[in-house]
Amino acid sequence: MSINAPVAPQSGPDQASSGGSGRNVRIAPVTRVSGGLELHASADFGARTVSEAALTATTFRGYENLLEGRDGRDAVFISSRACGVCGGAHALASALAMDMACSVKPPPTGVIARNFLGAMECLYDYPSHLFLRAGPDYAAPVVSRTSPALWASAEATPARGADIHGFSNISDVMTAMSPFTGALYREAIAMSRMAREAYVLVGGKFPHPQTVTPGGVSSTVDPSDFSLALLRVVKFFDYCRRTVAIWDDLTDFFYNADSRYAHVGTGPKNFLDLGMWDDPFAFDGTYENATYWGEQRWATPGAIVEGALQTTDLRVIDAGVEEFVGRSFYEGWGQGAFSHDMGGNPLSSNHPSNKKTIPQPGTANLNGKYSWSTAARWNGHPMETGAPARMWATAMGRLQPHTSFIQATGHGISMTVPQGMMASSEHEWQIPNLWNAFERNRTRAYALMHTSLVAYENIVIGLDLRRKGGPDARIFEPYKIPKDHVVGAGYWGGGRGYVSHHVELDARVIQNYQIVGPSTFSGSPRDDRGTPGPAEAAVMATTLVSPDPGESAVDLLRAVRSFDLCMYCAAQ
Amino acid sequence: MADDVGGSSPALREIDTSQAGGRYTANQVGGLSPARRELADTSPVHVFWLSGMSCDGCSVAMYGGNSPRIEELVNGQVVGAPQIMLHHPMFAEDAGAAFMDAYRLAAEGGLGARYILVVEGSMPDDQSMNASESFATLGAGSDWPQGKRGPASGDAPVKVTDWVVALAPGAIATIAIGTCATWGGIPSAAGNITGSMGLTDFLGSSYRSTKGFPVINVPGCAPVGDNFNEVLKELASSLSGAKTNMLEFDELGRPKWQFGETVHRHCSKAGYYEEGVFSHEPGDNECLVEIGCWGPVVQCNIVERGAINHMGGCMIAGGACIGCTMPGFPDKFSPFYKAPPGSAISGGTSRVTGMAIRRLRRMSMHNANTEPMWDSAHSKSTGWAYANDITNPVRKVNAFFYKKLQYSGSVNHHKRQKKQPLPLSRDILRQKGVDMEASVPVLQEHLIRREEL
Repeated sequence: MSINAPVAPQSGPDQASSGGSGRNVRIAPVTRVSGGLELHASADFGARTVSEAALTATTFRGYENLLEGRDGRDAVFISSRACGVCGGAHALASALAMDMACSVKPPPTGVIARNFLGAMECLYDYPSHLFLRAGPDYAAPVVSRTSPALWASAEATPARGADIHGFSNISDVMTAMSPFTGALYREAIAMSRMAREAYVLVGGKFPHPQTVTPGGVSSTVDPSDFSLALLRVVKFFDYCRRTVAIWDDLTDFFYNADSRYAHVGTGPKNFLDLGMWDDPFAFDGTYENATYWGEQRWATPGAIVEGALQTTDLRVIDAGVEEFVGRSFYEGWGQGAFSHDMGGNPLSSNHPSNKKTIPQPGTANLNGKYSWSTAARWNGHPMETGAPARMWATAMGRLQPHTSFIQATGHGISMTVPQGMMASSEHEWQIPNLWNAFERNRTRAYALMHTSLVAYENIVIGLDLRRKGGPDARIFEPYKIPKDHVVGAGYWGGGRGYVSHHVELDARVIQNYQIVGPSTFSGSPRDDRGTPGPAEAAVMATTLVSPDPGESAVDLLRAVRSFDLCMYCAAQ
Repeated sequence: MADDVGGSSPALREIDTSQAGGRYTANQVGGLSPARRELADTSPVHVFWLSGMSCDGCSVAMYGGNSPRIEELVNGQVVGAPQIMLHHPMFAEDAGAAFMDAYRLAAEGGLGARYILVVEGSMPDDQSMNASESFATLGAGSDWPQGKRGPASGDAPVKVTDWVVALAPGAIATIAIGTCATWGGIPSAAGNITGSMGLTDFLGSSYRSTKGFPVINVPGCAPVGDNFNEVLKELASSLSGAKTNMLEFDELGRPKWQFGETVHRHCSKAGYYEEGVFSHEPGDNECLVEIGCWGPVVQCNIVERGAINHMGGCMIAGGACIGCTMPGFPDKFSPFYKAPPGSAISGGTSRVTGMAIRRLRRMSMHNANTEPMWDSAHSKSTGWAYANDITNPVRKVNAFFYKKLQYSGSVNHHKRQKKQPLPLSRDILRQKGVDMEASVPVLQEHLIRREEL
């Protein structure tokens, strides 16, 4: 049952693996990610190293082309359908872009309702990733098959967090993570449903919500909805305590078993995030004030290169984004329509607002075009996106306002989780020295905790706004789509982080619509200069630690899956 | 009452009769044997999942479903249903060739087990394209069965449409999940460049599964997870020999019990429509037709069933229906947020008739909100209301005729109530001289008066 399959002769993007026991690995499909993904790698199972790696997004549907020529009022509901794992994030990003294009400022309660939707989507998504998509790589069946010695060690290692998560040994945790049969696996499905139940109270349905609109939301929320939502959010207090304890235990166990596990999926600490969850009184939807309202978000926008924070300014972040198609199944589009952004800063012709989607289907050639994803870069750097990027930017930005439960410390995020069935507790996610597959997953577990608290605070603020009544309690602000030529951008985040929508309207009709998803960064192919995407680089940096007798490339898959890629977001 | 348990109750006898010759007898109540034993074929049913022009939203809806839950089906824990062996890229333990192995075996006819094919996402027009060009692929040519027409080489990726062509004829049933796979959906909308279409358009209307079914369509963007899970379970059970009376489909292959009604008929806001009261802007609580709701002509059950676990549902949460379950979606419902043309006539009519109906109902409601004792006492017993309007003469006249009509041909409880003496301990605190003057004044904060419902 080896995954080994021959790869095209032209494999090895820049050079083929040289001699030794190296061979080409092709994993088609990479399962347990969203959307179609293939991994090509040159791996040396003798030297335990990887010399080359390439990721192919295998699906293209043409959403950006479909949106062109449609009424602006269709934008939110059509673009949401680009991704069914985080359709809510796309709906909200689209609504923000339309807010800007139509110069409408949603009322505070409308902003809070959007925040709530964003938070609940993350609360469904993180357990799904941690236990359904990434989790099985650390579960009993995979560990015992790929590394019998590690499994034996897990059976003999007590779990430090047993008091919190209830599993005595590491092997008990791993057994509980077994697909479909394991208690933790099934609990994660149940918790993902719990979050979705709360989501649909406000969003109507999921994954494609029916109440998100420019100007706010159209939800008719009554006191029962608040109560039902709150009863579900507080269930996450204990669940996040347990999830953090489980991923702390798993990470420590792997590090202690073999320190080389720290090299699985290691990367350069480049992160990009647009932040999410707006201050209901700061957000006005305008580009002019985006720096201000961006920095007032619960999660701070940020660009981090080599572990150093570059900016928290949404406008600077946006202006640095470029998409390259030299290695992607598209034709170039020449010069774009905009030489400058809305703030007058010079804009690259590769900026999303200048991009045109011109598909060019063909055979994947690893020396040429090989993916349906474009290569999104920030100031030329490949950047990681996702919940970890959000945590890094929020921690380093130290701008997070508002909160009674969360404190950004500059070197981490400290959190007070209120009482559930368990007593209230203090936790701190610390910016790790190491960066690899394990830290990505562990950070996502802490992001579950962070998001639970954000969700709780937003419900409490929403209740307060409703009680006070008046104009702030409205959920929607009427708007008109201008007849003239207007542009708008929506900067938001989903379970996987960064998502921006760029809309250009003329006579109320969409002239150009561009979507940049988180995996357009993380899961990107090489750019025009040949620089690999973050997940490709992480595979190349991986040490094949597990003995992996069947050569199933388990450590490479751990590296890829730790990014929580969604190829439907990457290539629409 | 003890006799009823013994079986003499007419209701219980009726149940027994209806199950005559059936599986359930009185002494089995509380201890039904696992119905799986009654399946003629107890072997697991494999499910192969293929995604074309998809977004994974249907898969997400599927694992959000509660009745039944996918993990229960996979673990063989659903009484009366065979175990499901799920082959799905999002849930697979294996990857690459190890994952594709079962697909290859099924396509070769060598799986040695029954399978259902589930298709998510529309079918791109890539069969007409060069063998090396595609819009969606799954696996490599080396996973492809020998001798079948398919990918160009062992290195080439395999088109998803190739897998559909290879797997559909051998499936005991083929289910299209979601509006993309059923009718084409958004990837087939105006302006698309993939040439996408629904599964029946792709396979042709003469397609039949090995058990004789055309493509079974469970639409929705995304569908209600329980709609799909229920169909999967019923279908797998039925094809294993279980007796089920659920599997009825309409002329487009939709489960009739799920899509046989318009969503408006079960809508929690349909009563507003009847009374001619409409939302003017998003966020208003009334009928959403005038802000672009197509519910009155859309076949869907989301307001009845809820989006997940009986919660949510578009209009219940304030979302106008955009027809996402319908073959015309999205273009025949676009632009969204514009009132459907037909609503000018139907909505206008309901405004006129609704106004009269609403007035009459409010009068009846006033009567219904009055305890008969309050009629006798000529005062409303509530600490909440400021105004006591029980003796309004117009209402009295109205109530007189209303009661005449209501009780005609039956017992006049109004007359009987008038003969009831008022209880002597009515208003006991005042009788005993307890002073309530010092109570905290909170009424202004908590009392909501609505002049007009």
